[in-house]
Amino acid sequence: MSSKVMHTYNDHLITRQNRAEKEFLAAFEAEKPTLENAHVLVNPYFINPLCALILFKSEKPATATMTIHGKRNDRENIVHAFPEGTSHAIPVIGLYEGMATRVTVELSTGETKTFSIESQPLPEDVCRCRNINTSMDYFGNNFMFLTPAGKNLPTAYDYMGDIRWLLTENTMFDIKRLKNGNIMTGSHRFCHMPYCPTGVIELNLLGKIYKEFRMPGNYHHDHFEMPDGNILALTQDFTTSTVEDMIALLDRETGEVLRTWDYKTFLPQNVAGSGSQDAHDWFHNNALWYDDKNKTITISGRHQDAVVNFDYETSKLNWIIGDPETWPEDMQKYFFKPVGDVANFDWQYEQHACVVCPNGDIMCFDNGQYRSKVKERYIRNRDNFSRGVRYRIDTEKMEIEQVWQYGKELGQSFFSPYICNVEYYDEGHYLIHSGGIGWKDGYASDKLGAFINPKKEPGTDICAKTVEQKDGVVMYSMEVDGNFYRAEKLFPYHDGDNAPFGEGKLLGHLDVTPTFDTIPDVPESQEVIDSWHQVNIEEDEDRIVFHGRFARGSLVMVLLEGEKETRGYFINTAASYHLAMCSGAYLEDDDRVIKQNISKEGLSGRYDIKILVEDTKYQTGVSLFC
Amino acid sequence: MITEIDTAAYDSMDKSGVMLVEFYSKTCGPCKMLSFVLKDISKNDPDFRIFTVDFDANQELKERCGVKGFPTMLFMKDGAEVSRLEGLKQKPAIVQEIEKLKA
Repeated sequence: MSSKVMHTYNDHLITRQNRAEKEFLAAFEAEKPTLENAHVLVNPYFINPLCALILFKSEKPATATMTIHGKRNDRENIVHAFPEGTSHAIPVIGLYEGMATRVTVELSTGETKTFSIESQPLPEDVCRCRNINTSMDYFGNNFMFLTPAGKNLPTAYDYMGDIRWLLTENTMFDIKRLKNGNIMTGSHRFCHMPYCPTGVIELNLLGKIYKEFRMPGNYHHDHFEMPDGNILALTQDFTTSTVEDMIALLDRETGEVLRTWDYKTFLPQNVAGSGSQDAHDWFHNNALWYDDKNKTITISGRHQDAVVNFDYETSKLNWIIGDPETWPEDMQKYFFKPVGDVANFDWQYEQHACVVCPNGDIMCFDNGQYRSKVKERYIRNRDNFSRGVRYRIDTEKMEIEQVWQYGKELGQSFFSPYICNVEYYDEGHYLIHSGGIGWKDGYASDKLGAFINPKKEPGTDICAKTVEQKDGVVMYSMEVDGNFYRAEKLFPYHDGDNAPFGEGKLLGHLDVTPTFDTIPDVPESQEVIDSWHQVNIEEDEDRIVFHGRFARGSLVMVLLEGEKETRGYFINTAASYHLAMCSGAYLEDDDRVIKQNISKEGLSGRYDIKILVEDTKYQTGVSLFC
Repeated sequence: MITEIDTAAYDSMDKSGVMLVEFYSKTCGPCKMLSFVLKDISKNDPDFRIFTVDFDANQELKERCGVKGFPTMLFMKDGAEVSRLEGLKQKPAIVQEIEKLKA
C-alpha cells in the first residue's frame, strides 16, 4: 500500500497569456527594437507551435508587407499587408513544421529584412495527411482547418497537405470565423462527460484567447454569431433529465445568458427515435443556423433524424425535414412531401451540420446511420452510404425536392456514422467533410470511430475525408489520419486587425455543481487514499477536476469539508455505454478511470478534500481555498 | 423499517397498505448510495415499510415486476404498483413519492 495524491494548480490559460503578453510588450517598449533587431517570438501564446510574432518599431509611419516564403516555390508565398504605423506587430501564421521558415518583412520606407524562424517537430501522434489531390490554382494559400473528434488536435493543412497550424489544446467542435476576423470554437476545459467543455472561446489564429464564454449548462457541438455579434450556442440544463436539447443566447460583451430555447417545449421527446436515441439524449442537437431573413432558427437533431425550423421570437415550430414515418399523426403537418425526381430522393438520417443557403435551400451532411425509422429495416454500416445533400423546400405546399447530393455513389468508403459537415460557398460550390470514417477488417466498422483505437485493435483504421466540389467536379480531396468533427477552409489572414493585444477575459459563469444531499455515515481513516486509485486533483481559477480510478460498482463520493458545511459529490462508477460520442477527447483507455468537474461557484472559504470509497472515508491532504 | 427479502418472501408477505420495494445489485455504486438514502428515510419514518430485493438473485421476480435495471424503486399500495423511480434519486424525490403513496 502506498499513498499518493497528485494536486496541481494552474492559472487559466487566459491568465497565463495575459501575463506573457504584458511581459513581452513591456520588453518591446523598453527596448524599442527596429526591424533589423526585431523581437521574434515563436508560439507567444503557448498553444500554437507553428506561429510567431515579429515586433519592431519604425522611425516614420510605414506600412509593412509580410511574406511567408513557400518551401517549394514563390507561388506558395503567403503575403499580407499591415496598416501604417510606427509600432509593428506582425503575426506569422503558418510556419512549416520542424524547419526554418523564411519570412520577409518589407516596409513602405524601403527597409526590408528576411527572418529565418525555426519551429520544432510536432508531436509524433499528430494526424498526418495521407493523400491530397488539388492544385494551387484552385486552393491557393488557404488552409483546411479540421476540428478534432477525439484526443487529436485542431489541425490545418495547406494545399500540399503540410500541417501549417495546430493548437496543442484540444479545443473541440466547430471552428467558425467571426465578423471581426477572430475564430470561435469550444474551450478545451472539461466540464461534463461525455464531451462538454466549459463554453466557447474567441481567439485569433496565434492562439490568443480574447474571451471564454462560460456557460452554466456547458457547450456542445455548435455555435452561431448573430448579426448583432451575440452568440447562439448549444447547451442543456443539467438539472433536467435530458441533454443536448437547448440553445443559449450569449451576450458578446458580458457573456451572460440572455435567453434560452428548450426544444422540449415544442417537440415530443418519446417518438420517432433514430437508432441511436435514448430517453436521456432524445434529440442530440448537433448544429444550429439562424436565418435573419425570416427570423428563424434551424437545428439538426441526430436522434430524431430531423432538421427542425422554429421561430426565433415565439419558438413556434414551422417545419421538419425528415422521414415522417413513426411520427405521430398530429405532427405530420410539419413534414414535407418529396417531389421532382422522387426515384432518386433519399431522406437524411442521423444527419449533422444543417446549413441554410442564401435562397432558402437546406443542406446537411446525411450520415445515414441505420437509414430507416423502423428497426427491422436498419441498414448495416458496410451496406450504407453518407453524403452531402441539398433540399429545396416549398413551405406553402409543404413539398421538398432533392436538388444535389454527393457521396451516395461512394458507398461505405465515404460512410461516417457520426460527426461531419457540409459548407456552402456559392451555387454549385460545396465542401463535404466525412470526418468519422472507421474500418474493421476491410468493412465500415459497426463502432463509432471514437471507440476505435487502430494502435491497439488489429484490422481497424480511422480517417477523415474532405472534398470540395465545384460545378460537379471534385476540385479538392484530402484524407487524413484520425476522425475530425468538422472542416472549415480559411485563409490565415483577414482584413481586420490580425493580432490585437489586450487583456483576455473569462466571462459568464459555470453552474454550481449539484451535490448529493445524503452523505453516508462511515468511519474516517486518517490515511491518505491508496495510490492505486491514481487520485489527481487539477485545480484552476474557477473549478477543480477530480480524477481517480475505482472498481466498477464501488461507492465513491468526493467530499469537500468546510468549517460550515460539507458538500458531497456522488461519483457514478457504473459502466456506461454511449450511443453518441461526437468527441472522444475525454474518454479514458481504462474505463475504471473517472473524472468529475466541481465548479468553485457557490463555494466559499476553506475546504478539505476527502474521498469516500465503499465504507471508509480517506484523506487526500489537499485543501481548497475559494 | 428496511427488510431484505427474496422471491419467496415477497410472494408470501402481507402486501396490504403502502410499501417501497427496491431492486438493487451488489455491484452497483448508485445502489450502494441509495441504501444510505433509504436508511435515512427509514430513520425519520420507521413505520414505513421498505423491502430490498437482490436484482441478480431474483430474476424471475424482477421480470414479473417489469424491472429492467437497478436501482429501481416500486411504490406499492395493497400489492399494486402505484409508481416507480429508476436510478439513484435524492431523498426529497423519494419522500415525495412516499407522501403521494400515503395520500
